Amino acid sequence: MITQMHVKGLMFDPYNNAYIVILRDEDQSEMLPIWVGKSEASSISLALESVAPPRPMTHDFMKGYLDAVNAKVISVVITDLNENTYYAKIHLTYEDSEYTVDSRPSDAIALALRSQAPIFANESVIRKQTSEELDQWLENLKPEDFGKLDS
Amino acid sequence: MQEHTSHTAESLLELTVDRVVEDPDTDTRILVLSRTDGKTELFMIWIGAAEGESIRRALDTSVTPRPMSHDLIKSFGEHFGVKTERVVLTDVKSSTYFATVYLESNGVTRTIDARPSDAIALALRCQAPMYVTQDVWDRRSGQNLDAWLSKLATKNIGTQEV
Repeated sequence: MITQMHVKGLMFDPYNNAYIVILRDEDQSEMLPIWVGKSEASSISLALESVAPPRPMTHDFMKGYLDAVNAKVISVVITDLNENTYYAKIHLTYEDSEYTVDSRPSDAIALALRSQAPIFANESVIRKQTSEELDQWLENLKPEDFGKLDS
Repeated sequence: MQEHTSHTAESLLELTVDRVVEDPDTDTRILVLSRTDGKTELFMIWIGAAEGESIRRALDTSVTPRPMSHDLIKSFGEHFGVKTERVVLTDVKSSTYFATVYLESNGVTRTIDARPSDAIALALRCQAPMYVTQDVWDRRSGQNLDAWLSKLATKNIGTQEV
């Protein structure tokens, strides 16, 4: 089973000096946080705010590459969580064939936002995540740790 | 400075990545390019830290546990049978360099506008040649920074970050 997720916002994790992308499902009952690097967070933030930078950033270039060859992103799926590393799959069409390409969730999300493609998560990933130390960690967060994107 | 301009169709000079150097004052990297024809002058471009590390990983042919962004773009090409044919640094405006990536599939060539850092990070992974137009080469900045750079480089070489 897969669940469609929406990017609700980005947070800074001061303990790990990293960023967290918050994914939530339609009825806001499930949450999936994904730790990403600074440049990936910046790329996702630009896409969320629909900011077009003066020069194409890496994921804009990635989208440009796919556009140039008429490949289309159908969807992305966050598939697995293994030793705190997430796995994602990008589903694309190119010349009437479908392809599935392995990626990091950060790249998949950054590309999906630029392609208006839906983001899904395997239910096993969501369940694993909620059962881990995350709940406690989130309780300790202050509202000011949340970015302005969490509207 | 002596320049021997070759008047080929596009007057392209082939480049190779000399090294990636950390700029200690900013969160950027300096991409140092040199010519493959043996000329000793260098060409420097300031690029982002993430792109710099991506280029460094391509030079080291180090493998990360998960595909990084430029590995993913390469992977798209492998899945589709699209070849990254070459990249060309085509223009410079207000110290911003512009690159074009040439893709080839089924005999059709397509081009993409890119920053040099993305273009080169992809080219290195695809063993695609990298060129600069004679015009951009002549207008490059940082030509007097060789001494400063060599001082910086001795400090920073080997500080590989992953």
